[in-house]
Amino acid sequence: MEIYLQQLPQQLINGLTLGGVYALIAIGYSMVYGILGMLNFAHGEVYMIGGFAGWWVLHLLTRNNEVLISAALVISLMIIIAMAISALTGLMAERFAYRPLRNAPRINLLLSALGVSIFLQNIVLTYQGAKVRFFHISALIPESLRIIHIGPIVFSFMRALVIGITFLLMGLLTIMIKRTKIGKAMRATAQDLEAASFMGIDVNRIIVLVFLIGSALGGAAGTLVGLLFTQVDYYVGFQAGLKGFTAAVLGGIGNIYGAMLGGILLGLSEAIAVTFLPSAYKDVVAFVILITVLIVRPWGLVGEKMPEKV
Amino acid sequence: MHHQSNTATLSNSNSFSWRNPNRFVLCGVSAVVLIIAPHIMPSSYWLRIYTMTGLWVMLALGLNVVAGFAGLLDLAYVAFFGIGGYAFALLSSSQLDIHLPFILVLPIAAFFTMIIGIALGSTSIRLKGDYLAIVTLAFAQIFKLLLLNLDTPINITGGVNGIFGFDAINLFGFRMMSPLAYAYLVWFFAMAATIGSFRIKRSRFGRGWEAIREDELAAEAIGVNTTWMKLMAFAGGAFIAGAAGALFASFQDSVFPNNFDFPQLVIVYCMVILGGLGNITGVILGAVLLSILPEFLREYGAYRMMSYGLILIVLMALRPQGIMGEVGFLLKKKIRPDKDQTDRLKASTELYYDENAKPLEITESKPQYIKSSRAILELKHVTMDFGGIKAVDDLSLVLHEREILSIIGPNGAGKTTLFNLISGIYPPSIGSIYFEGRGITGLKPHQIVKAGISRTFQNLRLFNKMSVLDNAKVGQFCRTSAGPLSILFHLPLHKKEEKETDQKAKEVLGLFGARLTGYRFDQQAMFLSYANRRRMEIARALSTDAKILLLDEPSAGMNPQETIEITEFIKTLRDVFGYTILLIEHKLNVVRTISDRVIALDYGIKIAEGSYEDVAKSEQVIEAYLGRKRP
Repeated sequence: MEIYLQQLPQQLINGLTLGGVYALIAIGYSMVYGILGMLNFAHGEVYMIGGFAGWWVLHLLTRNNEVLISAALVISLMIIIAMAISALTGLMAERFAYRPLRNAPRINLLLSALGVSIFLQNIVLTYQGAKVRFFHISALIPESLRIIHIGPIVFSFMRALVIGITFLLMGLLTIMIKRTKIGKAMRATAQDLEAASFMGIDVNRIIVLVFLIGSALGGAAGTLVGLLFTQVDYYVGFQAGLKGFTAAVLGGIGNIYGAMLGGILLGLSEAIAVTFLPSAYKDVVAFVILITVLIVRPWGLVGEKMPEKV
Repeated sequence: MHHQSNTATLSNSNSFSWRNPNRFVLCGVSAVVLIIAPHIMPSSYWLRIYTMTGLWVMLALGLNVVAGFAGLLDLAYVAFFGIGGYAFALLSSSQLDIHLPFILVLPIAAFFTMIIGIALGSTSIRLKGDYLAIVTLAFAQIFKLLLLNLDTPINITGGVNGIFGFDAINLFGFRMMSPLAYAYLVWFFAMAATIGSFRIKRSRFGRGWEAIREDELAAEAIGVNTTWMKLMAFAGGAFIAGAAGALFASFQDSVFPNNFDFPQLVIVYCMVILGGLGNITGVILGAVLLSILPEFLREYGAYRMMSYGLILIVLMALRPQGIMGEVGFLLKKKIRPDKDQTDRLKASTELYYDENAKPLEITESKPQYIKSSRAILELKHVTMDFGGIKAVDDLSLVLHEREILSIIGPNGAGKTTLFNLISGIYPPSIGSIYFEGRGITGLKPHQIVKAGISRTFQNLRLFNKMSVLDNAKVGQFCRTSAGPLSILFHLPLHKKEEKETDQKAKEVLGLFGARLTGYRFDQQAMFLSYANRRRMEIARALSTDAKILLLDEPSAGMNPQETIEITEFIKTLRDVFGYTILLIEHKLNVVRTISDRVIALDYGIKIAEGSYEDVAKSEQVIEAYLGRKRP
């Protein structure tokens, strides 16, 4: 037991890091669900594409383990370009696969999303191969900052960076939703699409914006995970998508703050579980949480129970 | 010269019959094809493909039950395939040193898979479609995790290397080892699955599932036990998948975790959706097509999975019903209204009089029921609180046997909520409801229908894509009890019940004259005229053999002539057939004509009760409808 407790603070930091990433993915799910009422199956693949985009940027800007421009710039570019490419992917999916189904029954949307997910996964598999891509990050971090000690906790620079960026992005999103006019329009559209259109809001543009932001955040998450764990391959989207979805449901699907909360909680739960259980069963934690929440409290922690009007 | 239409009693619908020459020929031809096919395969490679196609057909048919008939997006389906496969592997090999004969292993594998299917289903059946999909997907992932990790400390599943080297199948003394034998075996079961699918589709199960797919709430409110039926669909799909898994394991003589993974799931889904969800012929076609096509496109193998994704996207956007979807209905032999039984063209005047044929003449000798004083339905202090808004506030009422009680009140007064409470759609926040002395508070809608209360919906919730006759037949669901075994083997119980259901449905529809009978039996409900749709709604409620009818604005949108007719009809329901009727109406002349008693509601509270005259004169009622006079 002693050993486990000693590890706990370290694991909690790990959990927080991963939790932030899950939160970013979960936000994408929640935003789309809040507005369109659909589960965007393909969101996990958008995350994966973000990871690949980040890898490519790093790859193009690295020669012989030396970066061609300053490290800070490289990392910024990685994230920004990953966000851009993921956003583009999300937009195309919305335009070609989901928009024609705006008024179709839910099962059609789900199946189409499944199709998009398979398509994206396999297009990457075909043109990028199944091999794992490694992020050579040693060039990015100065020697002195590799490992930071704060008390008993060992921080890697990358970890600190990831935590910082995820919370920064979440903060920016919160400000946008709460303080800007377009954020208000998004909230209105999520509450009632029809009524929002009657109020003069261009609903189509809002939906496009939602997909853009959600996918961009997912893409950022992909690159951040790539930086953190130094790997990406065509299959990571599947798992990440499932975890992100679990986080969104845990918090309360459709609710952005719920997504953030759910993500962090999920990350922490996984970290705690890994402290006490063999690590192979880490993924089971997410599934157990998912099934439990859906059976016991399907509207999540922050969500509200909505009675169905007959 | 209008004559009583006799078409109500003649069997006009195209029921499946072995004596029907077309069907018989089709069966004969397919039997011949299946016997010859394995021998004419150009090579052993193609014989393998042939056998695999048979397995895909079986899988697709199983998925068709869950996703097609019941409309449940079950993404764990491939895991059931795997459970069947591994069950066979563990019971027929040296892995656990169990060597059961095939004739036992196949049913055990299938039943075991079915049980797991029911277990999974019961956890997720209450979830909405999207969540069900994700939970089942998660389950499939867990299954794969287990397959990969249960090889230490005890080697059960063989981990990533799977299990191989099974006992040969020994059927009645014949050792089946040759590919030819497998081809026959697999297609035998594929055919069994096909016949089973057709039989279950045309039974009360098939109708119940279709009703659930069309409108789950309405299905529940008309007596279909939706939870149980959805579970049955899960079970049926799992059963077939399990059997297919066992056959596959034997055929491949090995099982690996990646035989039962996401790609296989995607392929089966593509097959079913391409063919047309719910359409048995379509699904078989889709399975054959997507099983054989990749063979011809081998060189593009790298793009295979991508194409499946693309197929799904394009199909959903352009033709979600698949190739054969809805073609079935168009292919059914249409009975033309302008030709009668002898194919003689009828004059248009004959048609007109036929259309307006009076419903069953009520003669003097028929029993006349009147309101009795026995209380049949009681509501005691019922309140419905929707998080702050009390739709119904401390309402108590008594309904007497064979009484016609009308509920009136402005919009939003809580009238439909009252019906929803009585019919069990949601339980009251406070208070209790008694039917014939028995408490029914908190019972589910289908149980309340079974007890004897049925209802219609204000905004019409017909099963639009189902035929008029089928809509009426669904009402009999709660009065019949044939189970899957009875249906699959055409046991006497099933046959008797089908006949009775058919008769009862036609009887009920016949009450409305030629409007819902004859050629209309096979017409899809969505094509009926508005007034006929309202009549259909009532007919469906009648077919549940209820004692109390809750009619929610039955004459809404009808013109004065139709309104008079439906009003008389409702009166007949009580006078001649002895129904007790609770009626919501806005047309006060209707209320005045037929009500024994009237209750007025406003903001969920009872503001007046008594005869129509008393209520109509009540100041509160006038104020609720018209407002107060200016002082």
